[in-house]
Amino acid sequence: MLRKEQNDLLTQTGPGTPGGRLFRSYWVPALLAGELPENDCPPVRVKLLSERLIAFRDSNGRYGLMDEFCAHRGVSLWFARNEECGLRCPYHGWKYDHTGQCVEVPSEPEASGFAGKIKLKSYPLIEKGGVLWTYMGDPASQPPEPEWEFITVPAGHTYTSKRLQESNWLQAMEGGIDSSHVSFLHRGDLNSDPLFKGAKGNQYNLSDSRPVFEVVESPGGLYIGARRNAEDGKYYWRITQWVMPSFTMIAPRGNHSVHGHFWIPIDDDTCWTWSFDYHPIRELTAAELAAMRDGKGIHVKVEPGTYRPLANKDNDYLIDRAAQKAGRTFSGVEGIGMQDASLQESMGPVVDRTKENLVSTDNGIIMARHRLLKAVKALVDKGIAPPGVAAEHQRVRSAAIVLPPDQPFKDGAREAMIARPSVAHASV
Amino acid sequence: MLSESARMTTAAALRFRIQEPNARARATSVIALDPASEPFVARLAEDRWNHATFLKWPEEVGAAGPGADGWLTTFDGRRTRIREAVDSADQVIMVAAAGGRADAAALIGRACSDRRVTTTALIVGAADAADADISKTLAQLRPWSLMVVIASSDDYVRDMMTALRV
Repeated sequence: MLRKEQNDLLTQTGPGTPGGRLFRSYWVPALLAGELPENDCPPVRVKLLSERLIAFRDSNGRYGLMDEFCAHRGVSLWFARNEECGLRCPYHGWKYDHTGQCVEVPSEPEASGFAGKIKLKSYPLIEKGGVLWTYMGDPASQPPEPEWEFITVPAGHTYTSKRLQESNWLQAMEGGIDSSHVSFLHRGDLNSDPLFKGAKGNQYNLSDSRPVFEVVESPGGLYIGARRNAEDGKYYWRITQWVMPSFTMIAPRGNHSVHGHFWIPIDDDTCWTWSFDYHPIRELTAAELAAMRDGKGIHVKVEPGTYRPLANKDNDYLIDRAAQKAGRTFSGVEGIGMQDASLQESMGPVVDRTKENLVSTDNGIIMARHRLLKAVKALVDKGIAPPGVAAEHQRVRSAAIVLPPDQPFKDGAREAMIARPSVAHASV
Repeated sequence: MLSESARMTTAAALRFRIQEPNARARATSVIALDPASEPFVARLAEDRWNHATFLKWPEEVGAAGPGADGWLTTFDGRRTRIREAVDSADQVIMVAAAGGRADAAALIGRACSDRRVTTTALIVGAADAADADISKTLAQLRPWSLMVVIASSDDYVRDMMTALRV
């Protein structure tokens, strides 16, 4: 359990909040690059960390991310014309460049210099690995650009999707480091999902449904090891990476791609679930890409033209009680991503953690909260940059590996947990 | 018409969640396995907890241990049998210092296993410890713990116990 004030501190990420300051220490994914596909394309509304913004790509290909509303009368710049290196408000023609600087106020004499005095709050927006990233913190503390492996491998090796999740970011993220739910909620998918099936590790998973866990602090967050019995007294380890504040990477299976998530607050009641799959040493196959686009693995089918899942709370997640009863799915909801999201959303927008009853196997969650709370305090009280900002904290991998019984996974998988260009991931 | 899920997951609807307590306090035995972890557990014992007993492996019996039907001591020097400490607990938290001798884990862990009592093991003092020391302690704890946590920050144990409603 958490006290109410601790829960508030971690779940509230708007401007001026301690939790918001934490998120504003990092580059965070804001948009898929495909949402701004060409120069002078229509602008896109973006809400992040409880701030309403507008994103656009100007005539020279520069990306802009700024206050959604025109400084004149508060019109949404979603209606703006994207033309000649700026967004022009259709109401009275005020025009802004990609930095939010007002460059034209047609009703005022150009010589007055009035436009130069108007500037919308803006944030840097950069493209890396098919994702547009923004940094919403103090410009003086802007960290180096993100270095996550899924955005540094060649374009054909990686696939990223995003979906709306109608819950606070923290309860979504906590699902990503809660390894013990997999044996229940997702048990029907290991041998059927095209992005998981066929791996030898699946047999270890299914033959030993009572894993034992070890939680170890890492420089950027946590290593969460789940141990199951393998042959000859050895252990099969699945090692999840959590990097602060909200990056998780799930242990891979066989020669399938490796995958993970970011959970980024839209506001305190909703978040973006970003899902990525990549292979360090080969291109994703057409079949793999088709499966990902079809909502397999950790990805989700969305309503056309939106990022809202096709199965959502308005249709009761298309729950199929017959499939649940027959054991085809454990919860009756299809697909790993929506199995998680449906339950996390059922908790309400922000779950009341004063009422929960955690158990020993929840130590990954407990430790993550502990580290987040400490990082917030260090940042607010002393200005110390939190873990996960440094590039070396981002060059990590999850791993699946068989080790002798007396070898700590942190030692046995030391090399496997570091991202290395052109080196295959450790997987079973 | 709104679906059941849409209607029931709003913040307004969640105000009707029943406010009565939904669990009884779990009895917890917190055991220092070695002399180096004793001061740490002793400090925890000074805090207020719902239902916790703080014990230590008696230093005088050393690595050989007091036998299968052995005993632990409270921090004020009273003896209690391992079996009784486990029988009266819903969960047992074993605390060992990185590099410390955690031989007692086997004896306590076996008693917990026999009685189906959940075990959690924590290695404290890991921030400054060598990997080899952590590995040594880990090897002793691992067979007897459902969950092992290696914490670089010693205040983690207090946070964990609070989270578990100890």
